[in-house]
Amino acid sequence: MPKLNRFTIEIETGETGTDLPVHFTINNHKMPLEDTQGGVGPAETFSGGFEIGSFVHSLTLVGPESGQWDVRKIKMDYDCEHTPPYSVVFDTVTLDDTTEVNIWQDPPLPTWDV
Amino acid sequence: MSVLKKLSQMFSGSDSKQQVAGETVSEDPKPSDSPSAFAEEPPVHRRVIQASVIAEEAKASGSSDQILIKAEPSRDYEQCKFMVNRPLFEGHSWLFSNFEEAAGSPLAEAVFSVESVETLLVHESTAVVTKTGAKGLSDWEALAKEVGGVLRKTLKAETDLVSKDIVAKIPAEEVVKEEIQKVIDTEVNPGVAGHGGNITLTAITGNTVTILMGGGCQGCSAADLTLKQGIHGAFRKAVPYVGAIYDETDHAGGLNPYYR
Repeated sequence: MPKLNRFTIEIETGETGTDLPVHFTINNHKMPLEDTQGGVGPAETFSGGFEIGSFVHSLTLVGPESGQWDVRKIKMDYDCEHTPPYSVVFDTVTLDDTTEVNIWQDPPLPTWDV
Repeated sequence: MSVLKKLSQMFSGSDSKQQVAGETVSEDPKPSDSPSAFAEEPPVHRRVIQASVIAEEAKASGSSDQILIKAEPSRDYEQCKFMVNRPLFEGHSWLFSNFEEAAGSPLAEAVFSVESVETLLVHESTAVVTKTGAKGLSDWEALAKEVGGVLRKTLKAETDLVSKDIVAKIPAEEVVKEEIQKVIDTEVNPGVAGHGGNITLTAITGNTVTILMGGGCQGCSAADLTLKQGIHGAFRKAVPYVGAIYDETDHAGGLNPYYR
């Protein structure tokens, strides 16, 4: 597992939005996102990030404290040590006060032309 | 969370991560904005759910008059997949377990001519190679260049890439399906049932088999071993003309894995 220096997240909200702040968990520690922009209302786009500087066992986006949150798309940009930066897009998911969604993906496999 | 509660949890052996109804549930640590660190606060249990990833598989692409080959080693470097922008074995798949089995199939003969190639699996426009000896990234980089070279040379020759005898051996899909299902019912599932696991046949395409690992097998840390040494072996022994075997299980979403 690589050391994650920093990640940025861009969240597109669907029909049902929620309230700020948006929290994530890193290895089960709940944190607010930093450098945030935008909103999490219906059809709004929100972005943020965090300097992690640690090894990731789990990374999740935490659901709202109450009600539901329709997430249309989550785009993650990862900056890991010894690995070129990479991005992953997660598909639609609905979160509530009982759920959090995984937002960690291992770096892609090396691929080259032969 | 209060100190008393934390101590109580420590002595009761419970952890901040619990398996509830087979799902990973974490105790949600609230941000430290409460007025007192000792204030009683009910823990919030959240299920970790998986959203599907929108991704495009890496494929060799480019103008059709060029033979393009992309190499991709597996994460554990046990094998390397070669993706070609030409069909290698359309509609079917075949595992060449050794050099002798390659006889009569120009593609396999060429790949086995490369030193340290151990096995070759051909399916549609991909070839998967395993090797003997060291298996680091640099080892695959060197070998992949050679394999890419012989693949390209064979494709340029425009001959039948796989022996017609092999194609003749492969029966109709219904026969493959029936025989694989029989192996699952009589050998595989009774074997994994002891660990609460089960295997489901989800698709047969030509002689290519796709399965789903459920129950205790889904997410089990020994699932890969079970698949490669148990299931592959049982399938290939009972149904020798089976080609590629794929596991489409989402192991991250396992509800009650045997080993975790």
